[in-house]
Amino acid sequence: MVLVTLFLVLGVGSGALAESQKIVRFTEAWPTYIDPAIGNDFSSSVSLANLYDTLVFPTYDGEIVPHLATSWEVSDDHLTYTFYLRQGVKFHSGRELKADDVVFSMERLLAIGQGYSYIFKPVVDKVEAVDDYTVRFTLKEPFGPFLYALVRLYILDKEEVLAHIEKNGEYGEYGDYGKKWLLTNDAGSGPYMVKEMKLEEYLHAVRFPDYWKQFDADAPQEFKFIGTTETATVRTLMKKRELEISDFRQPAEFYEAMEKLEGVKVAKLFGGSTFYCMMHTQKPPTDDVHFRKALAYIVDYEAIAKQIFPGARQAQGPVSFILPGHNPDVYQYTRNLEKAKEELAQSKYAQELDKYPVDLVWCAEVPDEEKVALLIQSNASEIGITVNVIKTPWMKIMEEVAKPETTANMYLIFVSPHYAEAGSMIQSKYHSSSAGTWEQTEWLQDPELDKMIEDAIATVNDEERFVKYRQIQDYVVELCPSLFLIDQPENYAYQDAYLDWIAAERAERGEKVNPVMGYNHYMVDMKVYPEKREELLQKK
Amino acid sequence: MIRHAALGPRASQEAVEALRARLHLDKPIYIQYLYWLKSVAQGDFGESLFTRRPVVEDVKEFLPATLELALFAGVFMTLFGLLLGILSARHANTWIDDLVRVLSYLGIATPAFVVAIVLLLVFGMYYEIFPTIGRLTPGVTVPPRITGLLTLDSLLTGHFHAFWDALKHLFLPGVSLSLGGLFQEARITRSSMLENAKKDYVSAARAYGVPERVVFARYLFKPSVIPTVSILGLDFASLIGNAFLVELLFNWPGLSRYGINVMLRKDVEAIVAVVMVLGIVFTVVNIIVDLLVAYLDPRIRLVARGE
Repeated sequence: MVLVTLFLVLGVGSGALAESQKIVRFTEAWPTYIDPAIGNDFSSSVSLANLYDTLVFPTYDGEIVPHLATSWEVSDDHLTYTFYLRQGVKFHSGRELKADDVVFSMERLLAIGQGYSYIFKPVVDKVEAVDDYTVRFTLKEPFGPFLYALVRLYILDKEEVLAHIEKNGEYGEYGDYGKKWLLTNDAGSGPYMVKEMKLEEYLHAVRFPDYWKQFDADAPQEFKFIGTTETATVRTLMKKRELEISDFRQPAEFYEAMEKLEGVKVAKLFGGSTFYCMMHTQKPPTDDVHFRKALAYIVDYEAIAKQIFPGARQAQGPVSFILPGHNPDVYQYTRNLEKAKEELAQSKYAQELDKYPVDLVWCAEVPDEEKVALLIQSNASEIGITVNVIKTPWMKIMEEVAKPETTANMYLIFVSPHYAEAGSMIQSKYHSSSAGTWEQTEWLQDPELDKMIEDAIATVNDEERFVKYRQIQDYVVELCPSLFLIDQPENYAYQDAYLDWIAAERAERGEKVNPVMGYNHYMVDMKVYPEKREELLQKK
Repeated sequence: MIRHAALGPRASQEAVEALRARLHLDKPIYIQYLYWLKSVAQGDFGESLFTRRPVVEDVKEFLPATLELALFAGVFMTLFGLLLGILSARHANTWIDDLVRVLSYLGIATPAFVVAIVLLLVFGMYYEIFPTIGRLTPGVTVPPRITGLLTLDSLLTGHFHAFWDALKHLFLPGVSLSLGGLFQEARITRSSMLENAKKDYVSAARAYGVPERVVFARYLFKPSVIPTVSILGLDFASLIGNAFLVELLFNWPGLSRYGINVMLRKDVEAIVAVVMVLGIVFTVVNIIVDLLVAYLDPRIRLVARGE
């Protein structure tokens, strides 16, 4: 009664949106930092890819192609990279992009020390502007994947940033380095520019009319990133066609409902994230390679990939299949009871399994991991191995894996690459220097493997480097420090009826999608047809 | 800990040390407290690690959205709560009273976020009458900021289109938030009216031949709303604190949602500020309610004056 009354009082005003035309809206979780020296999570990376330009650009096939830099040279000692910049590129302010801006962007990133700075900090020694259109990077040591890393160096308009610094900051003459202003404004040259950013609510960006590349006529004129992942809200917006792409954090029921909605499809994009069961290689009984292999042969990978994480695929080795440098021929453990028994028989713990129960920790914040833990527990019991399943909050996990004596036998953890290349994964997962972080609870201290990794990373020629990566993957699989469970896709519902989303179409055809986080949401590559949207709305 | 919560797991050691020094975490706890007291006295609540801006700015931005929502819900709650209460009292023990009673139990027992989800699905998916997210339709001119309350600002500056739009955006979250309190008001109004109806002075007024309308307005209604108003104050204040899930569902950029976000991220300075602001709002609202009750109930004024 109350509702009806107010309903009449407020009138049946139309709820139709005044919003135009060629817009792509998507949801994601806050916070989003559009400052290139701060943001590095998913929503920040999507925003940065669209607001800023980089020297080089990642393609869907995992290659690196010229972008702001038209060409480059590498010195013989592989320590100096010289980039020749495209002329006439304009920032959103109207100023021309020059070598000085590149130098400023790198120096600012390193000085602030957040965002993607961790990729460059150990590698970059100095950056100089040789002339207006030539910039030179000097590295501390040869770093093969440098070009792959450079897709995370977003170029800022130096003058624009300097005009907006707050004097009393922690960076001396640079004040706050423009951090406050860049929270809600951009100083980029990218295809889109910030129209309005409301913290915790949305980021609204429009096409940059003076962009140096031509837009397709059907490319979005604007995009809006809405800061919510509430299922009921996202679902409603999809139904009202007020949302073109959902976030990937929704429950399975959401995607089921979306698949039934006319004109909507669900895209499964593999982003390079792999789900591991990491095994402590210094603690009994997982210090024994035969024991570890017995586990690798007994786990039911298919159940994990099909039932627990539908749409996932069993991982092949330690590097996601989507990453450049993945070894497609590396041995893949599959469930085989006979082999598991054989391996276990060779283990020094075979006769006293009851004395060596194994602790398996799963992360309390990811409920689905418990199902995997219970499955491994049940699988292991088939060959007489006792597994204790332990639920632990993430902060506590990070604390306990810092020391070998407090690290449990096994952890279930998702790991993503820092830059889209096999080297990132190999180094952060298996180089001895990363032991004690959540990315490597295996405590692998193998000098030979370290040498192989360092040598590979220092190899500048892509082909040669990838050959070395493949050998490393074979070596790691033989060592079996982890169970390589699944490559995890991100699921997105999207309005297939009026949106051409190249990443989704590629995924549907079984082709690779962009391995660099954020670039599958590169708006320039999308096409949107408002008249088809109208048709859909009319039908209802 | 601070490294993971504030700067991300891979921030450089220098950045972490700089932050520790800036927050005085390298000093003993009592010194930290003195630093904090000093800044608060100067109106500086520090910087939020979540939004990376001064907390004061965050509060300034997010509080009006929540206040506007709570005010809308409060007005809705008062208006319809009283109306339903009076209706039930006047038709006590008839089918109308029974219906209101059933609705009330349902309304009080249903949490606001469940109502919100139902309203969102019904009005968002099937009857697209009300907008479902945000405070204003994109493209509608935002009125110049005076109070931060969009409805008020748009009225003051003559942006009537924006006023209408903001009001429509308020409807679903406002109603979801108010239903629990609304039915509680209705119940209290009903019982206190029925109780007062039996009082001698009401019978006396009727016996003197005072018209029924005057009896109702002056002798029955006025004293009967006193308990309702007292409860209303408490309800209104808790609306502000409890709006979290409703704000989340309707993507409403309010202080309540901000409060939960900063709590989940252990953003201490922002938590302190949010708790203080909510405390102040709670106190102010209760003072206003006390003054209102004093106005409605002459006995309180007389006692206060010692008469």
